[in-house]
Order: sequence, then C-alpha cells, then structure tokens
Amino acid sequence: MKPRWRKVLHDLIDNKARTLLVVFSIAVGVFSIGVIAGAYQIISQDMGVSYAANVPANIELRMTNFDEDVLDSILNQPNVKDAEARRVFNMRVRVPGTEKWVTLDMNSFESFEENSINLLTPLEGASVPAKREVLLEQKALTNLDVNVGDLLEFQLPDGSIKTLPVTGIVQDTASAAGDFLASPFGYVTMDTLPYLGQPESFNRALVTVTGDGDDIAYVREVGAALKEKLENNGQLVVRSRFSESHKHPLADTINAVLGILLALGILIVFLSSSLIANTLSALLNQHLRHIGVIKLVGGQRNQVFVMYITLIMAFGVIALLIAVPFGGAGAYGLAEFIANELNFNLLGYRIVPLAFLIQILVGLFVPLIAGLAPVVNGSRITVLRALSGGLADDEGPARSGEEKRLPWFDWIQVKVTRILAARGIHIPRPFVISLRNTFRRKSRLALTLFTLTMGGAIFIAVFNVRVSLHDYIGQIGKYFAADVSLDFDEPYRLREIEQAAMKVDGVERVEGWQFVSGELLDANGDVMENLNMFGPPADSGLVQPNLLDGRWIRADDVKKLAISESARKYFPNLNVGDQVHLKIEGREELWEVIGIFQFMDREGVLAYAPYEYVSQMNDLANRSYSFRLETEEHSRAYQDAKAEELDKFFRDQGFKVRVAESGRASLDTAVESLDTLVVFLLIMAILTAIVGSMGLTGTMGMNVLERTREIGIMRAIGADDRAVMRTVIAEGIVIGMMSFALAVILSIPFSYLLSTIVSLAIFQSAIDVVFTYQGYVIWLALVLALSTLASVIPARNAARLTIREVLAYE
Amino acid sequence: MHGVVKRFKNAAGEFTVLKGVDLTINRGEFVSIVGKSGSGKSTLLNMITGIDHPTDGKVVIGGTDIYTGVSESQRSKWRGRNLGIVFQFFQLLPMLTLLENAMLPMDYADMYDFDERPARAMDMLKLVGLEEFANKLPMLVSTGQQQLAAIARALACDPPLLVADEPTGNLDTKSANIIIDLFEELARRGKTVLMVTHDPSLTSRTTRNIIIADGELINETIAKSMPWLRHRHMMEFTKLAEERTYQPKATIISREEHIENFFMIRKGEVEVVLHDRKNGENIISRLKPGEFFGEIELLRGGKAIANVRAGASEPVEVLTIKREDFKRVMDVSPKTADAVGKIVQERLEVHRAADSRKGGLFSLFGRK
Repeated sequence: MKPRWRKVLHDLIDNKARTLLVVFSIAVGVFSIGVIAGAYQIISQDMGVSYAANVPANIELRMTNFDEDVLDSILNQPNVKDAEARRVFNMRVRVPGTEKWVTLDMNSFESFEENSINLLTPLEGASVPAKREVLLEQKALTNLDVNVGDLLEFQLPDGSIKTLPVTGIVQDTASAAGDFLASPFGYVTMDTLPYLGQPESFNRALVTVTGDGDDIAYVREVGAALKEKLENNGQLVVRSRFSESHKHPLADTINAVLGILLALGILIVFLSSSLIANTLSALLNQHLRHIGVIKLVGGQRNQVFVMYITLIMAFGVIALLIAVPFGGAGAYGLAEFIANELNFNLLGYRIVPLAFLIQILVGLFVPLIAGLAPVVNGSRITVLRALSGGLADDEGPARSGEEKRLPWFDWIQVKVTRILAARGIHIPRPFVISLRNTFRRKSRLALTLFTLTMGGAIFIAVFNVRVSLHDYIGQIGKYFAADVSLDFDEPYRLREIEQAAMKVDGVERVEGWQFVSGELLDANGDVMENLNMFGPPADSGLVQPNLLDGRWIRADDVKKLAISESARKYFPNLNVGDQVHLKIEGREELWEVIGIFQFMDREGVLAYAPYEYVSQMNDLANRSYSFRLETEEHSRAYQDAKAEELDKFFRDQGFKVRVAESGRASLDTAVESLDTLVVFLLIMAILTAIVGSMGLTGTMGMNVLERTREIGIMRAIGADDRAVMRTVIAEGIVIGMMSFALAVILSIPFSYLLSTIVSLAIFQSAIDVVFTYQGYVIWLALVLALSTLASVIPARNAARLTIREVLAYE
Repeated sequence: MHGVVKRFKNAAGEFTVLKGVDLTINRGEFVSIVGKSGSGKSTLLNMITGIDHPTDGKVVIGGTDIYTGVSESQRSKWRGRNLGIVFQFFQLLPMLTLLENAMLPMDYADMYDFDERPARAMDMLKLVGLEEFANKLPMLVSTGQQQLAAIARALACDPPLLVADEPTGNLDTKSANIIIDLFEELARRGKTVLMVTHDPSLTSRTTRNIIIADGELINETIAKSMPWLRHRHMMEFTKLAEERTYQPKATIISREEHIENFFMIRKGEVEVVLHDRKNGENIISRLKPGEFFGEIELLRGGKAIANVRAGASEPVEVLTIKREDFKRVMDVSPKTADAVGKIVQERLEVHRAADSRKGGLFSLFGRK
C-alpha cells in the first residue's frame, strides 16, 4: 500500500472517537431517511394491495331489516358485481368470571364458506363458526383476555346472559377500515341469532361493482341507483358508505403523516450534514501539519484533496454499512407498526430499492458536499501556513510590533464585562472563560446552534401539536359533554328515566336525546354525505357549541338545524338562512340552516335540531331511546363507575338497557389514536434532538481538543478537576441555553406549520394552535441534561489531561 | 528533592530522564537551572511544579510532599496557592484581559475575598507596570508585556515560590532585563525564584546556579569553580570528587610537599600562608567557596610553594580531584586548561611579588 493510502487508513483507525463521531453523524441521517423512505414505500405499496386483497365493499348500505329476496334484487341490479347481506348489531360481552364488559359489533352472515366481500383472514382456530359459536376479530383480543376454546358471555337486552365458545380468531381488514372509533368485531352464523335474541334478518348490504371500482364517482353513481331502486321497493336505506377497491380509506391521512415524517427525515439529514461539516473542518484543522509535511515532501494539492475525499468516502461507506441494515429494519418495523394500528397486512420484509438508493446517495454525497469546502481549503493551504499550525490563527500569541485589531464581537464582550465591573458586578473569571469560549469559533457555534435549535423547536412544536389535537378533541367533546350515555332498546318516558336515574348517587341531570340518521342531498337529489342529526333539548347543558355563524337551536324551531362547518365541504357557500336538502327516513325535506358551528367529522356531517321537534318527527314525544346524564364528577374513572352502576341499576329495574357508556370513552379512543401519531412525531423530534446533542458533543470535543493548551494553563495556575470540568460544561450549557432561547422563538412558527399540516391530514381542516408549557419545560430540562452530558465526556477528557501533555503541545 | 527518578516509555523503549536527583533550595534564593536541550531541566522543573510526577523519589515543598497520596487535581489546587508559574510562551488565556488573567488564579485557589480580587490583580499589574493595559486582551499587547502580565498572574496568590521556564527565551534584551530585575526584586522581598534558562548572562544574576546534564545535577562547587569545563567533564568531576572537611587552622597543603589532588572549596575559607623569616607567617590570600587551589603543581609539576590551611573561624569543606583525573581532563579540555593556565600565571605573579617583598617562599593558591 502506498504511504499516502496508509495514512488515510491510519486517520480512519487511529482516532476512533473522531471516526465514530463522523460515522455516527452520517449514519443518523442515513438511518432516518432510510426508515421514513422505506416505510413510505412499503406502506404505499402494501396498504392498497392488502386492502384490495380482502375485496372491500364498494358500497355499504345500512338498512332496515331485509331478507334474501332483497339481496337477490341487489344482485340483479346493473353494475353490481357481487353482494353480501349481513346483520350487524352491538352486544356487550365479557369473559366469564370477570366484571369488565366490552361492546362488540357482531356480524352475522349466512355462509362463511361463501364469504366473498370484506373477506375474513383466518389467523387461529376455525375460520367458519358453527351454530352457537363465535369468531373474534384480532383487535377484540386487546380488550378481551380470551383464547380459542374459551367461553364468552353475551348480555341480551333483557339482561340475561348467553354463552358462546370462541372457536377462531380472524382478521377483517375491510370492515370499518379507517374508523378509529369502531368497536371490535365478533362473527356468528345467522342461525345463532335467535339464541342472542336477534331476528334472523339482515340489516346491512355489502356490494362490489363491476367496472372501475377505484372510480369513486362511478361507485357513488351505482350506489345512488341501487338505493333508489331499493327505496322504490319500500326498503329504507338508513346510511350508505362508498369506498374505492384499492385505496384504503386512511391512505391519504397516512401518506400525509408519512410526508411530515419524511420532511423531518430530510431535516435530520440536513442537520447531520452540518454536524459532518463541523467535524470534518475540525479534522482538517488538526491535520494542517500533516498537510504541510505532505506538501513539503512533494505532495500536490490534488493528491491531498483525493486523500481527504477518500477519507470522507470511507466514513460514508462505514456509516452506510451500519445504517442501511438498521434503516431497512426500522422501515419495516415502522410500516408494520402502522399496519398493525390500521389493521392491514404487509407483503413481507424486503429491501426497498428506492429507499436503498436514497440511503446510498445520502451516505456518500451528503458528507462529500459537507466536507468539500474544508477539504478544498485544507488542500490549498501553503506549506508555511500549514507548518505554522495554530500560530496562524486567532489563538496564537501576538508578535511585538504587529498592530492587531480586536474583532468587534470580542470588543463588545470585553466592554460589557468592564461596564458590569464598573457597576460592581464581577462575573467569576472561570465563567467568563466559558462565555467567551462559546463565541470563539463562530461558524462552528452557528452550525451547532442550528442543529440544536431545530431539534428543540421541533420537539417543542410536537408538544404544542399534541395539545392542539387534544384541545380539538376537547372541543369536539363539548358537543357530547355527557358523563354517561344511556341507550335503551325501547323508548322510555323522559320523566320515568329521570326519576329513576336521580336515585343513583352522583347523578345531577338527565336529558333525553333524539337521533336521526339521514343524508345530505345536492340540488339534483343525489346523496352528498351522511347526516347525523342529534336532538338534544334546546336548553341542554350538555352541548357547548362553538358557533361560527347564526344561532343555536331553540325549542320552537321547526325543520331548522344547526349544522357543522364540514357541510361547507359540499356546499362551500352555505350560509345561515339557506335551505338544505335532506333525506330522512326515505323522505326528502328542506331544512333551514340557523347556525353553523365549528366541528370537523370524518364520517358524515353533524347537525343539531331541538328535541322538541325531532321527538315529534320521530313520533316519540316525551320519550327517548337515548339519554345523556351529567354526574357530579367528570373524571373518566368516575364516569366508568357510574356507567356501570347505572347499567346495573336500570337492568335490575327491568329496563332494556342496550349500552351504558362513559362520555369520555370514545373521546379517549380518539385521543389514543392521535397520540400514536404524536409518538411518531416525537420519535422524529427526539432523533433531531439526538443529532443536535451529537453536534454539541462533537463541538465540545473539538473545542476541548483545540484548547488543550489553555486547559493545561488553567491547571498550572490552580484549576482542579472540578474547575476544569465546570468551565467546559458551563460552555456546553451556555450553548444549550442559547439554542433553547432560539428554539422557543422558532417553535412558534413550527407549531403553526406542523399543526396545520397534521390537522389538514387528519381532519381536512386547520385547527387552532394551543401552546403548552410542557414542551418548553421538558425541552429546557432535556437541553440542560443533553448539553451537560454532551460536555461531560470532553470535560472529563480535559480534566484528565496532564499539564505535561498539554504544554508539550507547543 | 530526594532521589527523584523519572523514566519515560516510548516505542523505542524506556529511558531515564532524571537519574536520582537530590536538590535542596532554600527560601529566598534566586536559582537558575541550566542545561542543554534534552538534559532534563524541563522535566526537573515539572517535578518541582507538580506538573509531572516522578517515577521514584520525593519532592517536598514548604514541608508538603506534593506527590505522596496527592491526586493531580489536589496538586493543581495546591499549586494555585503555593506556586506561581511563568512560561516561556507566556500562556495567558487569550479570551481574558490582562486583569482577568491576573484574577483567575485567585478564583481557582479561592484566595482573597471575591470583591478584593480585582484590586489585588490591579496591584500586581501595577507592580509589573501594566496598569494602563489592564483591560486589554493579550493579543493587543507586546510579547514583553504579555510576559510581565504572566508574572503578575503568577504573583496573584502571593505564592512563596515562583518558577519560571525560560521566561526571557522569547523576549528581546530590554524586555528580558526588566523581567530579571523584577525577579531579583522579588527574591530580595523573600520569594524563592527558580528559573530555567539557556542564557549564561542570566545565570550570573542569580544567587545560585544549578546545572543539569543527562538527568543528573552537576556538583555546584565544581560548576562554580570550573565554569569553563564542558558539562560532561563537570559531570565526570562530580562523580570523581571526594569530599573532605578540615577543622579550623588544620593544614591542607604543606610547603615543599608533593601534591596529589586538585582542591575546590565548597564551604568555609582557606588561608594561603607564606612564612616570613622575620615576622613568621604571612597570610597572602584567603580563598572562598567556588575557588580552587593545587593546580600549579598539578599542571607544572614540583612541590607546594606555600602552606594552605583551613580558616580560623569554621571548618572548611573541599572537593578533591585526583592528580591523574585532573590532568586527564585538562588534556582533553584545552579551553579549561587555558583558563586555568591564565589563573596560574596571575597567581604566580602575585606570589612572586609577595615572596620578594617578604623574602619568603612561594606558596600556591588559586583564584578564579
């Protein structure tokens, strides 16, 4: 091997700490981009394929009870490829011997063997239940501790308990895909229904279309024709839902979220490149003498250039060897996590060529670009300057007779200290050293601050985004502020329920609510979207709407509604006073909009009309199926306890309770799913913070290395280990605190940007940004800890240096 | 220093830089340490300052054994309070003003009240004449001023011992003179000043000169008596020399006797005596430490031409070198032989004059 290549090899091996720092700086960027790009590719490929593989229904119709004849007529419709009928109903189940009830969405259909839409994938045990057996969707296992062969207790509306054995676990990737709030599923055959107190008729039709199932307009067209036909035949369609064959309902959301993560990944690459630039520039500085000697013995500029570029490439290759496998595994891990959360399957572990290519490019070119300037400058240096080493820079001693001017920033620092001293404020000199050292290498400081500030700003912003999302959910909660929702299988008089409920300790208020499920139609009478209309009493204390326009409902309103702003997605010019075309219970009606309130719903449009009118419309005056209760305490635990107590109380009294649920239950589910997203954001924020603190560690390491002589002087004049460490750590903390101040400022636009992007992805509308002290406090603690930690190793090294070593540095 | 040994290891193997050095320096002395490059003088200084630690032996400063059971960190603290160090390259911290540099040791050693420190540092800068540059950064003052500031810093904690490593090595003559004047003044005030230097002109201004060669100290009496000798010959003499002590008035050399040794006075005084026929004995010269005698017979042959005896007040300590050793070294060291020859000539002149006046017999004495 030629001597110069041997030198490159030695440079790589001899200073292991430095090599590790550079390699790790590159590897972090490569890893991050590899994970995100890989996961993005895997998910965008597999999500659709996996979804389509289970033949999802293009049209889902919720109807009043129907029989095989209706199914046949659906099958005979033009453009209908296939259709399946099911009965879907809620049941409360529990593991025998336990107290915890779980609500399951029970699906029953005629023949599991002939299941051709929303296919079930068998995971364990039987794939076809026999009479009086139940299959569970895998998600149910998170709430129910059962195995195949165990028994489950089912509670009937009359309170009686029936028992079914669990004979298999299946996966259902198509039903309720994209609905975070959906209950887990159970599956039984139609002939089990009488045993569970259900009629042997269907209430849901799943339909696939011929032709292009990915053309949503076409699917809607087929669905509209189908509905019209059914309704003409006297069949009531309560709700309809349309989906594309190959597009998971959450694909857009996931892609948007992955897009955000990708942006953060690119940012990490960018930050790690500044880290690389810093380290390489310090390395070249340390190697000035080497370069001087190489040139002295005849080395040419391009030879020096090639040597150091080779060194950088070697760093890149080592980083790739580490980061690519981890990045690939991380990508699949992330994709698998998302797939699990959203209940779809991946096509198996594989190397994603695009992600692989991106990693190679990032691993080789980013360090090359980052290191180019230092290498070019280093290779251009004259022998004289190279051999004079540190004497040529600002830290060398002045020579007599030379006129030197103080840089303006140093002048300001000295001036400020003097002004303070004149006022009797003396800063301890060891701290003055830390402060002034901070600003000695300004470009290095700028790069370090940049990485650490970006990490901090994103970290803080993620917390603000989290709180903003929670606040938004909290805002949603204001439309459903009840502590306990009590639904019955038959209507009861308001007074009767109120009197009974008030006997339960802690119940303070009872309201009977109405519910109407309808559809929002366009001018041509075509269905635009489902409409969920609630009918609370006009004076309800359980709805605190945030009105954007108009007024809230009044008791004397007739065919008047307050509608959520999401209606403007379909009618952009919708205003108070306008009429909307609704289809309710098969009737087409015109309703007047009296108010528009802030609320974005994923499924359908929300509207409110007064109980007083809706109950008459439903023919349920002074009666209701659904009651909302307010209790004296509002914690989730209290609500859960009261829901349980009320459930038992009413059943014992002979009421047919369908479900008693705490008000926060569904909101908490929504919050949990949002928190999953926040966790991803936080992971990326932590990665940026790691890059930032690595930058700080590198900077402190380089600073200490360059100031070895000064540390020796400090020791020579009386600084003990602690004093030396304090000086170094204080410098790290000063940098940390500066970055914190900058991060606080930068976190404001970042919070707005990130909240807007995330909320647009999830809610299709921007949400109000809420700021929380949490992110700031945590980041402050973290940056203090990180900057201390980042300085401790260099500080310990500094303290360990003997003065002989450092003065031998001359 | 007691039996201080320092060994270093490197790829080429182990080598001993200090070979069992014994050295005592008294309070208030202004001592120079000289030696060629690689002789071990910086290592010796590092042992005294606690900058490096010996492989073997002890260093006791002001009653404190600075190595036994003391960590490097504790030694730094001790150094801050007890030792001022002045470096060849000044080693001021570039980010601090001269005043701040002078305050720093007080901060580290926690000496003086926090609020007193600026005034104390300013006093030190005044002492070295830098008060008007107090708020300047080192890069804005001359190298001489930087070294003066370094001295002010070294004095900040009022340490009893000041150690300077080539303090004038990087300065012009004028600046160097100012520094040495300052050291002299400090020594007069009771500080012990220890200075490593290459510059022979500086050694003449110190009260004591220690020469180190190949990791060993040259006997100071030999160095003082025979300054023209090469260091290796001094070292040879150091190893060959025998110590003798004579009680007051005891005869060291008798006239007309053969002389077998060369004598160098370490302590006390010797009297060169001629016997007058009328008046009896006549003391023609008194020789002090650092002077030698016995060289005339050794160089020219023959018997002693005068009596030499110990002074009357105290015993005298001398170092002796055997005739053959002395002659061998003189044969290979023409420079020394010339210098000694000149002294012999001078002495003979003086002796002849005295002898003709007194009518006595020649004695032999030596004076530097």
